[in-house]
Amino acid sequence: MNFTRIWAVTYKEWREIFRDRLFFTMAFVLPISIFLVVGFGISFDVEKITFAVLDQDNTAMSRDFLHRFIDSRYFDYKGHVQSEREFDPLLADSDIRFAIIIPPRFEEQLLSGQATSVQSLIDGVFPYRAEVAKGYVSAIIANFNAQSLADHLARKRGITKGQAIVQVSPLRLESRYLYNQALRSQWSISSGLMMLVLMVAPPFLTALGVVREKENGSIYNIYASTISRSEFILGKLLPYLLISCLNILILWWLVMHVFGTPFKGHPLFYYIASVIYVICTVGVGLVVSLLVRTQVAAVMLTIVLSFVPAMLYSGLLVPIESMGMATQVESHLFPTFYYLRITWGSFLKGLGWVELWFDVAVLVSYALILGVIGFLNFHKRPAE
Amino acid sequence: MNHHAFLLWWGRIFTITIKELKQLIRDPVLLLIIAYFFTIDVYMAGSGINLSLRNASVMVIDHDHSAASRELIYRFRQPYFDFKGEISGKNEAEQLLNKGQILAVLDIPENFQRHLLQGQPETVQFQVDTSNTVLGTLVTTYAMEITADFGQDFVGKQMGINTDPMAALPVIQNRYRVLYNPNRIDSWFMSIMELLTVITMLSMMLPAAAAVREKERGTIEQLTVSPLSSLQILLPKVISMGLVILFGVAVCLFLIIIPFFHLPVRGSISLFFAVTALYVFTASGIGLFIATISRSLGQVTMLVILLMMPILLLSGAWTPPEAMPQVMRWGMVISPLSYYNEMAYAILLKGAGIDILWDSILGLTVLGAVFFNFGVWRFRRQFG
Repeated sequence: MNFTRIWAVTYKEWREIFRDRLFFTMAFVLPISIFLVVGFGISFDVEKITFAVLDQDNTAMSRDFLHRFIDSRYFDYKGHVQSEREFDPLLADSDIRFAIIIPPRFEEQLLSGQATSVQSLIDGVFPYRAEVAKGYVSAIIANFNAQSLADHLARKRGITKGQAIVQVSPLRLESRYLYNQALRSQWSISSGLMMLVLMVAPPFLTALGVVREKENGSIYNIYASTISRSEFILGKLLPYLLISCLNILILWWLVMHVFGTPFKGHPLFYYIASVIYVICTVGVGLVVSLLVRTQVAAVMLTIVLSFVPAMLYSGLLVPIESMGMATQVESHLFPTFYYLRITWGSFLKGLGWVELWFDVAVLVSYALILGVIGFLNFHKRPAE
Repeated sequence: MNHHAFLLWWGRIFTITIKELKQLIRDPVLLLIIAYFFTIDVYMAGSGINLSLRNASVMVIDHDHSAASRELIYRFRQPYFDFKGEISGKNEAEQLLNKGQILAVLDIPENFQRHLLQGQPETVQFQVDTSNTVLGTLVTTYAMEITADFGQDFVGKQMGINTDPMAALPVIQNRYRVLYNPNRIDSWFMSIMELLTVITMLSMMLPAAAAVREKERGTIEQLTVSPLSSLQILLPKVISMGLVILFGVAVCLFLIIIPFFHLPVRGSISLFFAVTALYVFTASGIGLFIATISRSLGQVTMLVILLMMPILLLSGAWTPPEAMPQVMRWGMVISPLSYYNEMAYAILLKGAGIDILWDSILGLTVLGAVFFNFGVWRFRRQFG
């Protein structure tokens, strides 16, 4: 190891990055803008579901029941229709996401102590939204039923309404939300995005930096020089690593001050863990750059290895518990999974070294393995 | 334009298209990656990803150990919950929650059964890890439903409120029908969504890369001194990459999505391909514009990612439009993917035709014309 030579490569690389103004700006702008766009853009708090109504009863009670939907902030009322057939084009064109049909004799049946039924048609194209919409509908109906039943019992048995309510719903679940009491999805998503952004930006920069030399042919200068393999790799990666270490701090600041997410853990521990993670992601870029010859291929392969697992298999958007067996195994193969646990543990749960050492150890071994793969695959005398 | 000039014009387009295709075929790694995106990537997203709740691990602190508490615990079972056993105290519960080994703890108080039998209101505690809010919310919703049902059933049985012939009570029965995807199969939604993401990425990236590569290598000078017009240089890049992408879509649809996930194609396949071609054209327009303002592929990549994230997020594919703030819903008007997304699901799952989709087709055509002409205009100004 000769530090002068490492420094020479680093300095050359740095000059090259700095002279490409667009590239240099993007090295900082890209992570921040991905972060802001996704942070503000992703939300699973479904509200204002559009719906239309067919009221075949048209009585005081049916209108009272419908107003529970119309007044709810979860629904967005789009009007009444006259026949069931009118729903089809509205649903097909996504003008409404669900339809509710109140049968004739709705009020009459309920008042005479009989059951009635309300039909809803839900657009199932986006299963998550369908699930949520179904949940809201069930909740409104259950609420209506509890009142109707309590009234009925109170009248029939001659008990007070309070007693009747206990009989109708005797058991209650009291939930305590740990780590994120107000259930703000922005807290989990914004901190989780550290994982996504640091997985996406560094490998691209690194992979392009190396493959560019291959495609331009300037790599032959390196092959012909006295520099050793590990010196070249280290020198080449250092600038990208430094940029990313700075980006960690910028993103961290954004998470706390733009999204208002609290940081409950140990700052030094989290920063060290983040730097190790960035070494992993830069390492992914290195390995990619050694496998391909052209820059387009490098970009595509980086997306396969970084973007897709970070988005789908890390646990950020899709719960790991809900995955199939094979996908669960796959999610454990990428460093994103472990770093997300470290991030949420540090930001929201206030955990530190004691609880998270295993995840850090996995990241360290990941970085080592990637380094070794990179070292073994970089040859100064490439086979033609 | 007479007949001869017409033939000559298209002959040139044809020749350059062949040249582009040859260039693509000579990069086997890139071809392999494109093939990966249209097959394995879509398959994995469709088969492993579930946005609904499955197997949430839950443990119980049972202070009562009665028939009633056992019956309640028994209801926390698959597919939604995965009962992991009993624990003795709160400290242990907290540790397991901290480590992320379980998602929730149900705490049943002493005298649980006695209170229920005496007709006193009773509460059970439920601690949920909400560091992932999506998961936390779903877990809580299901747990509430389970406990409320259990309470009603248990008390109903004991107190002799006959809940069996529901017709004897004034309640609304909730009959819902989920349209288009009655069993809420996530793989239909997820595989199509992944396919749309892949199409977006490739149709922005591939033509842009093909264009900027000529700039990087200097071969663009050769093209501009040839008798080709700007349009004749750019159009073949879009046509050739578009053909590759459409071929990929066909492979994906007929060899992956339909056979593996049993997607029932309800609309016209040819309409779907026509709309896809229109979308590829629009997205490549954005790609060409990016190519005109970049000097290297590194810059292209950065800009593609920078523009792709908002396009994806504003499409309604990642976040349902119902969950977006109003400003972002307006932003959907200029995201070409939001039109394509709507149409792809409407054609494939809802069986919609041109009569319903004409407004989306019109919107996409206008956007495509604007983007493409803008790209060509910038190019002409640079090299014309």
